[in-house]
Amino acid sequence: MRLYEYEGKAIFQKYGIGIPRGILVRSGREAQRAAIEIGKEVVIKSQILAGGRGKAGGIKKAETPENAAKIVQEMLGTEVAGYKVNSLLVEEKLDIANELYMGITVDDKNGAPIAMICAEGGVEIEEVAKRRPGRIASNHINPLYDMRSYEAINLVRQIGLTGETLLSASKILTRLYNVFTAYDARIVEINPLVTTSEGAMIAADARCEIDDNSLFRHPEWRDLRIQHIDNPWEREGVKAGVNYVDLDGDIALMANSAGVAMSLLDIVNDEGGHPACFLDTGGALSKERMKNGIALLLRKTKADPHVKVILVYTSLVFSLPDTVAGGIIEAIKAEPADIPIILISGGEEKRRKQVQELLKYSRVKICPGVEKGVREAIGIARQKSRHGNIC
Amino acid sequence: MAIFVDKDTNVLIQGITGRLATVQTRIMLDYKTKIVAGVTPGKGGQTQFGIPVYDSVQQAASKHRIDASVLYVPAPFVQDAAFEAIDAGIKFMVIVTDWVPLHSEIKIKAYAEYKDTRYIGPNTMGMMAPGQTSLGGVLATGVKPGGIAVVCRSGALSNEIPSRLAERGIKLSVVIGLGGDPVVGSRMLDVLKLLKEDEQTKGVLLVGEIGGTMEEEAAEYVKAHFNKQVVAFIAGRTAPRGKAMGHAGAMIMSGRGTAESKIKAFQLAGVPVARTLLEIPSLVKQMT
Repeated sequence: MRLYEYEGKAIFQKYGIGIPRGILVRSGREAQRAAIEIGKEVVIKSQILAGGRGKAGGIKKAETPENAAKIVQEMLGTEVAGYKVNSLLVEEKLDIANELYMGITVDDKNGAPIAMICAEGGVEIEEVAKRRPGRIASNHINPLYDMRSYEAINLVRQIGLTGETLLSASKILTRLYNVFTAYDARIVEINPLVTTSEGAMIAADARCEIDDNSLFRHPEWRDLRIQHIDNPWEREGVKAGVNYVDLDGDIALMANSAGVAMSLLDIVNDEGGHPACFLDTGGALSKERMKNGIALLLRKTKADPHVKVILVYTSLVFSLPDTVAGGIIEAIKAEPADIPIILISGGEEKRRKQVQELLKYSRVKICPGVEKGVREAIGIARQKSRHGNIC
Repeated sequence: MAIFVDKDTNVLIQGITGRLATVQTRIMLDYKTKIVAGVTPGKGGQTQFGIPVYDSVQQAASKHRIDASVLYVPAPFVQDAAFEAIDAGIKFMVIVTDWVPLHSEIKIKAYAEYKDTRYIGPNTMGMMAPGQTSLGGVLATGVKPGGIAVVCRSGALSNEIPSRLAERGIKLSVVIGLGGDPVVGSRMLDVLKLLKEDEQTKGVLLVGEIGGTMEEEAAEYVKAHFNKQVVAFIAGRTAPRGKAMGHAGAMIMSGRGTAESKIKAFQLAGVPVARTLLEIPSLVKQMT
């Protein structure tokens, strides 16, 4: 779950990392009031869940409160980098002397947190890393302990900082690490970390992403998660407790493992089919989750006439026949829709027969093999769209 | 002997009375896995399928020799359960639990490395040494002992693929589900190092997917150090590209992680890559 800049900054402030004076606004009037309160030139930043806002025109300067009001009015409701702008952050314009980059994420290779610092802030960090590797330093942190002050100092001094700047930057790095652990973050980034002409070190931006699997430990964010997802169907997926990715074809795919879902997607694409979405229920399937997954796809097919067929793969190893068949039957009952469902079921022959028996009065067609199921689904999708064209 | 486990491995089931544990314990018993004990706090003294249940791993370990533990403990408690197994001196774990928080995963990894415990998962189907033992839910239909090792990141594929290979008469030395999460106990590289020394294994099938860097890492190892035949498959070749995890993520990955990058790395290492799931059996057949 990626947080908005203003949410990330509020967390930074709580953990002792300096941020610019700023006020979140949702109207021109609020913007004007905010700019008056700040009492100097302001920067107006659209709050969207994407990077590269500056380049996409999502960040503007305003010299007067009237100007701030006008800019906010114009930007509200527009799209920046494909995201709708619903709110903006009005912030004091910083007097920048220098910019750094600071970030912490998990390195999958070592399975450990890695802290990074770069002597140049901005959007071209990856380029700096390639061209001037001496300007960037990184170090793994043992997740069984907090970050020690000397670890931070040893990292920060590698990019040539000394004296007060060294101390300020390393203090901010340990605080950022505290945010990283306290919020179960997948990533925390300050880019840029600004040194002002008065010598203060301030986080001019905030990128924080909370690990979705940890949300049971953060109930205050769990309830906000839905608002942080742009696609309405992906929002439905979260409510249903499944992983859902929206695409734009005519075959709705579902599987009880991400690997199988992706393999199915590849085969469907290779065979000339067009996936409408892929939904991964996760391996430990319950009847409830099976029902929720199928019901979501049925709702999607009802709302989107492009979708012609539902193709489902379930392994009968993790899941009992009653879980699979029962979930499907309950979903059809809850969301009746005139759409063919094809079920590919891997696993024991005996269990497959049981599923077949349980589903014999439904319109679900059961295929033992992946190839056959995929070809069947593509055939139906093609036939139905041809039929549609004739009508 | 296969890697990690063999027919004499004594197995503990943590969270044995849970729903999934009940299903998979049955599968393991059918495969003659030597399950000696189970743990569910508060249910000590009960039995499950005739297996004694204890309140803690320490208590179970004081009554039985335990070589490996299979964990079904729900995600909020799995970090403690893994630490408990590690502290009880158990040297191999299969963490089946899915939806495990990333920060729990990195702590389990750090503690296991510190205490020299190996594990697969989280979010794994488990592993099977055909004809010997099975830990977790691998129920590859018709699989017989032989010379091919199957190493999968994805859970359900660790059932689907071995079953397909068995249909073609291909016999297996081991089936391992590494787990579908970003931070897992054993990566392809770790398993390849063990398979290199495993006499039974003649060839290896690596089943990867998009994301992370373990396939690229494995390909480099195969090229430089591995002495057996390898074929591979990458799931998600046509999946929409995921969003990069900020600058930090992009710098760690430095261009790796995509299907193209992984396929290219394998090709540079002389490893044939199946285009789809359906091509895997004939590619593996060429190794036998």
